[in-house]
Amino acid sequence: MTRRTFLLSAVSAAAAVPAFDPGFRLVDATAAAGIRFQHNSGAFGAKYLPETMGSGCAFLDYDGDGWLDILIVNGMDWPGHKRQRTTMHLYRNNHNGTFTDVTERAGLAVEMYGMGVAVGDYDNDGFPDILITAVGQNRLFRNNGRGRFLDVTEKAGLGGRNAFSASAMWFDYNRDGLLDLLVCNYVKWSPEHDVFCSVDGKRKSYCTPEAYHGSTCWLFRNRGDGTFEDVTAASGIFDTTSKSLGVALVDYDRDGWPDVLVTNDTQPNKLYRNRRDGTFEDVAVRAGVAFSEDGKARAGMGVDTADFDNSGATGIAITNFDNEMMGLYRPVPQGTFADIALKAGVGQPSRDSLGFGCAFLDANLDGNLDLVAVNGHIDETARHVRNVGYAQPAHLFLNNGKGGFHDVAPAAGSGFASPKVGRGLAYGDFDRDGDLDILVTTNQGPAFLYRNDITSGNRSLRLRLVGTKSNRDAIGAVARVWTPDGGQTRMVKTGSSYLSQSELTLTFGLAQRDHADRVVIEWPSGAVQEFKNVRTAQYECVEGQPLRGV
Amino acid sequence: MLAGLAVILTAVGVYAIYTIVQLRALEDLQAKTIDRNRTDSHVLLRLQNNLNSIALTLRDMLDGSEPYPLTAWRGQFQRIHTDLSDALAQEEKYAPLERSADQRGYLTRSVAEFWDALDRLFGLAAAGQEQEARTLIRLSLQSRQEALSTLVARLLVQNNETEQVAAERTHGIYARAERNVYLLLAAMLVLIAATGVYLVQSNRRMFEQVAALSELRSELAQQLISVQESSFRSISRELHDDFGQILTAVGVMLQRAERHIAQRPEDLRADLREAEEIVQSTLEKVRSLSRALHPVILDEMGFEEALDQYLPGFQKQTGIEIHYEKDGPGRELDRGVSIHLYRVMQEALSNIARHSKSARAAVRVHFSPEKVVLEVEDEGVGFGGQEKQGLGLVSMRERAEMVKGRVEFLDGSSGGALVRLTVPLEPVSST
Repeated sequence: MTRRTFLLSAVSAAAAVPAFDPGFRLVDATAAAGIRFQHNSGAFGAKYLPETMGSGCAFLDYDGDGWLDILIVNGMDWPGHKRQRTTMHLYRNNHNGTFTDVTERAGLAVEMYGMGVAVGDYDNDGFPDILITAVGQNRLFRNNGRGRFLDVTEKAGLGGRNAFSASAMWFDYNRDGLLDLLVCNYVKWSPEHDVFCSVDGKRKSYCTPEAYHGSTCWLFRNRGDGTFEDVTAASGIFDTTSKSLGVALVDYDRDGWPDVLVTNDTQPNKLYRNRRDGTFEDVAVRAGVAFSEDGKARAGMGVDTADFDNSGATGIAITNFDNEMMGLYRPVPQGTFADIALKAGVGQPSRDSLGFGCAFLDANLDGNLDLVAVNGHIDETARHVRNVGYAQPAHLFLNNGKGGFHDVAPAAGSGFASPKVGRGLAYGDFDRDGDLDILVTTNQGPAFLYRNDITSGNRSLRLRLVGTKSNRDAIGAVARVWTPDGGQTRMVKTGSSYLSQSELTLTFGLAQRDHADRVVIEWPSGAVQEFKNVRTAQYECVEGQPLRGV
Repeated sequence: MLAGLAVILTAVGVYAIYTIVQLRALEDLQAKTIDRNRTDSHVLLRLQNNLNSIALTLRDMLDGSEPYPLTAWRGQFQRIHTDLSDALAQEEKYAPLERSADQRGYLTRSVAEFWDALDRLFGLAAAGQEQEARTLIRLSLQSRQEALSTLVARLLVQNNETEQVAAERTHGIYARAERNVYLLLAAMLVLIAATGVYLVQSNRRMFEQVAALSELRSELAQQLISVQESSFRSISRELHDDFGQILTAVGVMLQRAERHIAQRPEDLRADLREAEEIVQSTLEKVRSLSRALHPVILDEMGFEEALDQYLPGFQKQTGIEIHYEKDGPGRELDRGVSIHLYRVMQEALSNIARHSKSARAAVRVHFSPEKVVLEVEDEGVGFGGQEKQGLGLVSMRERAEMVKGRVEFLDGSSGGALVRLTVPLEPVSST
């Protein structure tokens, strides 16, 4: 054997080693599904700050047919620089893996500088309503149940407010059965007060938020008559130093009252503990989530909360700027959190990433929540100065169930890890095969729909909760599922990720098991239901009624 | 070389002590001044950050861009208050030691006065007197905030100046340490070079001596072989020339005596007598040869007796008049010592006979409890500054070494040669 043939055979042998199999494949189904979306940031060279921040996306079942539809938020051209008309897009699920663009028909072909989306049935009529956050006036679209959305912004009392809004969240903070609304505002910005920033000292680049004043988040209480009351000041949420981008629901003190976690860019994150009297107190510093472990306020972008270690308590993931690493917080006693990102194997791989959307989801249905994050820098000149890419690969950290995470994005297939200027991220089971598919938006680029195909044979138990006494979407409800492998906990929540919303149906991976021994549901109303020997399938659970397969 | 090593070790030791002293000084400076100062600066920066937040909040309250009443800002101020109070407690803990109690108290009092004014502000706002509250912000709170900010900035400047002084001191310590490192290195280099040169020279001398000794030993070996051959030749000649002829003559005499037994019995007696004389003479020769090869008397009677017997024979053979002296209490010498004393004496006298052209010689033996000294002196031409490397002299030197003694080749009092051999003796046991 010559040296050359030896080397060739060695290379062939190496190539023949099977690649790591994560137990699922993410197949790029965008084109096949008919999702032809192109984000318009309106960029024309002035490099206005909002251009690099959007936009978000959502999985929702707007027509109530049991199949998830897709909403993708869009920006628009700046006044005085009009070249095209762009709007958000609503794609209706055709039940066969394809979607139909129904934006016009649904009344959503509204031109606005959209940023994020929050979906919630605020009027409890059984059809999800939509809040679109924007640079300018946010818009509330009420679903009339017949396939159309009506702009009820002014009527609902949300009009007359101009801001640079980001993520938003529906939740029932006072547990009156009505969804209230929390909107994050980023900074006080307007084209007239745009600041010149430069990464390389020569060309204008997008600014980091230090250049602008902060802006308070808004909290609107649902009066139950289709209108909202601004309780920002009265609730203690008011804070003009905040530069908020992400928001997540969490029951930090496990008292059954929803608390709020807000991620701020270059400002301390806020953890608003619900004082059960309509007011909140910020306990972020005390809880250890305001700053990084070295005491620095990081550039908090996206956020998600979940019981990722199956301890029954909620942990937190926060995406940050490049060179700051993601934060992965595990609850520790005395109501505090410890950032275990480095120890868990999430910190180092995310050090060079500028993260936006993120979500805990059980990608391989093994019963352990994995962590997905999409990344992308804010300015293309960054690659010349900071030695990081403008387009960046996504992360898909697989949870080994022992406190460790391993990034398997490159092995997930179909270009999921190919560099993108990622922003929004949402998940949902659009093809109803029991696993979680992923929707990603990119800045000034297309959206991507990744269909999850489980290859390991793992199964899931899915629960769609419908409140009766509680808010109809059951936001804030907690479901716990036990198998001989242990327990899992999920909360129904909107918000999370970045500018985006995932489906409200809860997914529990049961690995190879065909049933759960016990399922317990704790409703926001305080009611608790328990079911035994629940087989793997998708169920609807109406508050106070037995499970029903759907 | 040992001295060089000692100097190096001393230098290293002194430098180590000096370095430890410098490090302790640096450690002290670091702990008491630099670290404390830096921590305090961090706390002051935190205070400054809080004061900046207060300034921004006051500005937001005045600019009217928010649709909320002034009381909405209470929560924001409460957060700042909490952090600022904590920072103030830290500041009191880490304030530089040289800051006076008055200076420390002033900051705390000023902050307390600000919060009092803020409480009045929210009191007015809660009472619906927004306009008065805004006036209070402009006239009082903003001024107080600016004064506090200036105070903190001044403390930061003081800390910076202290830090600069400390940095200069640190720099001085480092500079001294660096200079001393160079000095130590230079001194070590010189010492190592000197030691190296010394070692090279020393080794060179040693190698030269080894080479000379090697050459001398080679020469001696050749001479020894030559002497051995000469001795064997001499013995062979003695045996052949003397004893061969004598024995032949004895044989002829015995044959003649045999013939006389029958024919002339009266001559038989004369023949036998003649043969007896020849045999007697031969016996003397054998004894003399035997004595020359090894003086048996030395073994039997001791060194002094051997001298007594040898010296008259030498005088008789060479015609050199020998004057023999002995002093000190004589004692029985070890056989190993006496043979070498005897041979040295023989060699010295032989040299006198061959080279000195002296008609007289003196042999002196001096006994003392701890040594025996043998001197052989002539009145001849002396060594005359000639190199004392002849085989005889070398053999005398070797023999002296074998008995741990010392041989000296000196000029005698009359200008002749003086050979002195000193051999240490074991103390005589009292038993």
